[in-house]
Amino acid sequence: MIVIEGLTKSFEPTRRQRHLALGDLSLSIAEGEFVSILGPSGCGKSTLLYVVGGFVPPSSGKVIVNGQVVTGPGPDRGPVFQEFALFPWKTVLGNVMYGLREQGVAKPLAESKARALISLVHLAGYEDFYPKQLSGGMKQRVAIARTLAYGPKILLMDEPFGALDAHTRTGLQRELLEIWERDRKTVLFVTHSVEEAVFLSDRVVVLTRSPGRIKAMIDIDLPRPRRRAELLVDRRYQTFVVDIEGLMDTLGQARQ
Amino acid sequence: MNLKVSAVAGVPPLLACLGLLAIWETAARVLDINGLPPAADALRELPRILSDRESLLNIAASLRRMGTGFVLALLISIPVGLAMARSLRVAAVFNPLLMMIYPVPKAALMPIIMLWLGIGDASKTIVIVLGVSLPVIYHSFQGARAVEEKLIWSAAAMGMRPAARLLRIVLPAALPQIFVGIRTGLVLALITMVTSEMIARQAGVGSILFNALDMAQYASVYAMIVIIGGLGFILDLLFEGLRAKLVAWAEPGHDIAVGTA
Repeated sequence: MIVIEGLTKSFEPTRRQRHLALGDLSLSIAEGEFVSILGPSGCGKSTLLYVVGGFVPPSSGKVIVNGQVVTGPGPDRGPVFQEFALFPWKTVLGNVMYGLREQGVAKPLAESKARALISLVHLAGYEDFYPKQLSGGMKQRVAIARTLAYGPKILLMDEPFGALDAHTRTGLQRELLEIWERDRKTVLFVTHSVEEAVFLSDRVVVLTRSPGRIKAMIDIDLPRPRRRAELLVDRRYQTFVVDIEGLMDTLGQARQ
Repeated sequence: MNLKVSAVAGVPPLLACLGLLAIWETAARVLDINGLPPAADALRELPRILSDRESLLNIAASLRRMGTGFVLALLISIPVGLAMARSLRVAAVFNPLLMMIYPVPKAALMPIIMLWLGIGDASKTIVIVLGVSLPVIYHSFQGARAVEEKLIWSAAAMGMRPAARLLRIVLPAALPQIFVGIRTGLVLALITMVTSEMIARQAGVGSILFNALDMAQYASVYAMIVIIGGLGFILDLLFEGLRAKLVAWAEPGHDIAVGTA
């Protein structure tokens, strides 16, 4: 359960300038809910995620996770970044084991758990590879396994598939849904792809251009498990995508 | 296939050496000046110097000082560089100091340091430390600053404390860049070692060289220059081997740049 209350975040790029990235944003996310944040670029949607992660402090307002005010990062909230952020000096196995070892899990147990997760993300056989030897899609699979490994209750995904080609992207969306439908973690998913948001989420939150405020919240009551091929010809899916795209267009025109 | 590539790779350096020797030999014969003996004369001096116990002891003493200065410099510079990159306050303290030391030729400080500490090992080692420190600090700083913030966040989310993040995330992530600085530092260690012995001339490679120069034994002078060059080449080769092992995981693009003294 995540409760965001009256959150604002401003940056001061220089002493005289003040840039308000997030303006008075309140939002509640239920346990096990998959929520996507959509918005024009620069609307502060990633900043929102960083504040929930405790990586960036809010300027005012607060984030409460399971009854506790967020004051810093913690293993209850696992991030997955667009940039993968793998430890390049560690192998695939070393990366996936890292969080478990950090949590004090004994090496043999950490290794067997890591190996299981590596096969879960279809990378069995790549345990001894270094990140530089992997493709973008493989790197992001490792990053997801690395985060799942230490068992966060909440996944914070910052445009995780944004740097991947369309084919890899849809493949990873499907894999993510398969994993999520198994253990239903709470997911906060930032994206700028409407189709991706509708395909994955229980609820889509659309933010306005900066400062980011909530423009609309749309419940995506499509049945699960979802199959992409079926959804593409589903009228309700198409309506969601078209409506939200339309909403995004009006936001985009505001300043262009 | 591999064999072929490595055979080809060994040829250009060999050609470069032979070319240099040929130019040297020709120039010496054509110009016929006292200060430039033919290459053959200098090379004939090599076995004499390298089999002389006294010379070998001097070379060993130089290398020991160089090693001490080099290691001390790394122990100081890497933490300073990393701390400067991660803390504005530390950077504010060290930046002006470094900018002042930067343009001063380190060997020029040698006479002053000699006034304090005499002409023994301490003065020479300190000059070597000064010579090595700057590029290592600079590259450690650049390397640590370029570390992706999200790498550190990822570790923080796992529950890693800030101090541990510096040692276990920032240091390894910056290592490829730090090694660029260390390689430059290694060359500078050799240079400052020789120049320090040129000024405080009681032992070492530099003292042999400059004593020979004073006595107009030009063949020995050039032989010593060849030996110093050879030392540099071997040290660099050993270092590159070590680097290739330690940062084999790094993405390519960390090209090596060797600075000047």
